[in-house]
Amino acid sequence: MVARTLSISSDGVHLAILDQEEKLNKMYSYFEPKVFQSFVEFLSAFGNFLASNKIKSPLWGTNFNYQEGERNISYLADSSIAFEQSFSRYLKQNFKEGVDLGGPKEEANLKSKFTLQVQDLFKSTAETALAPFWIGLQQVTVLGGAPGETIERALQDGKSQLNFVNDILDHYTHDRWISSALLKKSEKGELLPKVLSEHFGTQEVERRYLYKIHGAELSQEWKSFGLVDIFEDGGASFKKTGLISFLDENFRWMYSIQKELNFTNEWIVENQHKVKFFHGANLDRTGFSQMMKLFMMGQKVVLDLTGLPPELDRRLQIFMLENSLKVQTVNFVTTINLSELGDGRFITYEGSRLQTEETTRKFWSHLFRYFNLNHVDINLGTDVFSLWRIRATSPTELNYLDVRRVNFYNPTSYKKQVTIHTKGGFAFLKMIDPSKATAKSVSHGVEVELLPHGRIALDFGHYEET
Amino acid sequence: MSLNLVYHFQSSQNQEEAFRPASYRLIYFFSNQGFLDRPTLRELSKSVPEADHDLLTFLSLDDLKTFALRVCQEQKEDEVRLISVQDYNIGLDGAKDLPTFRTIFEKFGEVIVNEEAPRKKGFLGKFFS
Repeated sequence: MVARTLSISSDGVHLAILDQEEKLNKMYSYFEPKVFQSFVEFLSAFGNFLASNKIKSPLWGTNFNYQEGERNISYLADSSIAFEQSFSRYLKQNFKEGVDLGGPKEEANLKSKFTLQVQDLFKSTAETALAPFWIGLQQVTVLGGAPGETIERALQDGKSQLNFVNDILDHYTHDRWISSALLKKSEKGELLPKVLSEHFGTQEVERRYLYKIHGAELSQEWKSFGLVDIFEDGGASFKKTGLISFLDENFRWMYSIQKELNFTNEWIVENQHKVKFFHGANLDRTGFSQMMKLFMMGQKVVLDLTGLPPELDRRLQIFMLENSLKVQTVNFVTTINLSELGDGRFITYEGSRLQTEETTRKFWSHLFRYFNLNHVDINLGTDVFSLWRIRATSPTELNYLDVRRVNFYNPTSYKKQVTIHTKGGFAFLKMIDPSKATAKSVSHGVEVELLPHGRIALDFGHYEET
Repeated sequence: MSLNLVYHFQSSQNQEEAFRPASYRLIYFFSNQGFLDRPTLRELSKSVPEADHDLLTFLSLDDLKTFALRVCQEQKEDEVRLISVQDYNIGLDGAKDLPTFRTIFEKFGEVIVNEEAPRKKGFLGKFFS
């Protein structure tokens, strides 16, 4: 055995996960020196194996994570004695004159920095050793893999379908890639395989792992469809200002929280229609320039000025002057500045002034009314889940601009109702693959009834209103 | 039917010149049906005024036991088992699969009985009720 010290979570419990065969797999600390030595030996042997067998397949590294509450945690994170000893060696090496850790906060920051450095060491070593084959690193979150989930899955009733679907859609919103490798057939039940194949299926694998390049333009294949992109690395700035709860109420699972802006041509074109939210405190010079380029390309960009570095604030003023942009100022809850350039909209506001729940709701409501996001209205109710996809029209559907499909899932043991209001611009086309569900057209749209563990998909044609 | 509570003892800390006393923090609280709802637990923790109701930390083991019993009474369960993280980890060390993992919640920790729980009726009791 390479390591002897079990890894410990920040709550003090050993990390152990149940697999499909109900075996308990204990996680050992990555911080024991022998682990890294063995990792290097493994990489060397694996590289030789690939070379000697003339295998030319591209190779991805994976950093596995688990989700505990709102935190996405790497299995490498550890609080065991092996980690403490390793951290102590790191301090001695990096702070030769000694270091004043100050309070627990400073110590936690240093520990987190050290963990990231070790994580990077494992990654860069693999990248170097397997250089001819190496493509990159993927973050994968393991469903059912958190210490708390080990207990939940071991209980008489196990982890419910509802809780699993809730988790999966949260990962979807946060653009996280997931693995269901640990789950038993009984845990997946009827719905999970459907949710996974419909929204994390082959096409998504091809996109994430770059096996096949899909064009940015709409094609006959279904693509996931959302209305809002939020760029935020850690922190919870948009949660504090009420944006997330507003979106949860009005555009549930139609927004995506991303750690960084993927500034490629394909991504820009594919996400042209989305409103993009940036936070001043998260921006650096590159991020700022990319944000302004999106605006100049005709996209809708919203910036919370809170924490915007003074240098970027100056650049913003210069940008406005150089491009002779007219700024319209509105005082509503906070100061809102609006600029237009062709189809592009650039809105800034002071998020720090969005304080009470009532005023923030009013603020976001007004802002989204201004954007007029043209989409179908759904009255979902609790514990029913929906995800949208979009495709280009076929030759028989030329009356429409595009076709949008919504999948509804009911992972509960209760009957659920969903009402869809097809206001102007949308026409109900057909229902697909109903299982324990029915749908009927009514004057204001469509009414869906989902029995326990039921699912259904509905297609809507999107047309231009005259 | 019973409840299980896993807790973590944290020693006292000086945090930014503010002293944080030693405390017992609730990590997991669950029944056979799943984890108990956190907002409900926060509300019930108010039966111990000195506790940190938001973080669910208690100043003494006795306070934690008082809270655990209060939840047990509210849920009308027979008993609640309090397991320290250290005991949980020892149990986990010896477990290798689902059945042996489940025994942690039968072998370890301290059991507090809810005297107010509705008594289970025996055969004759059911017959005559």
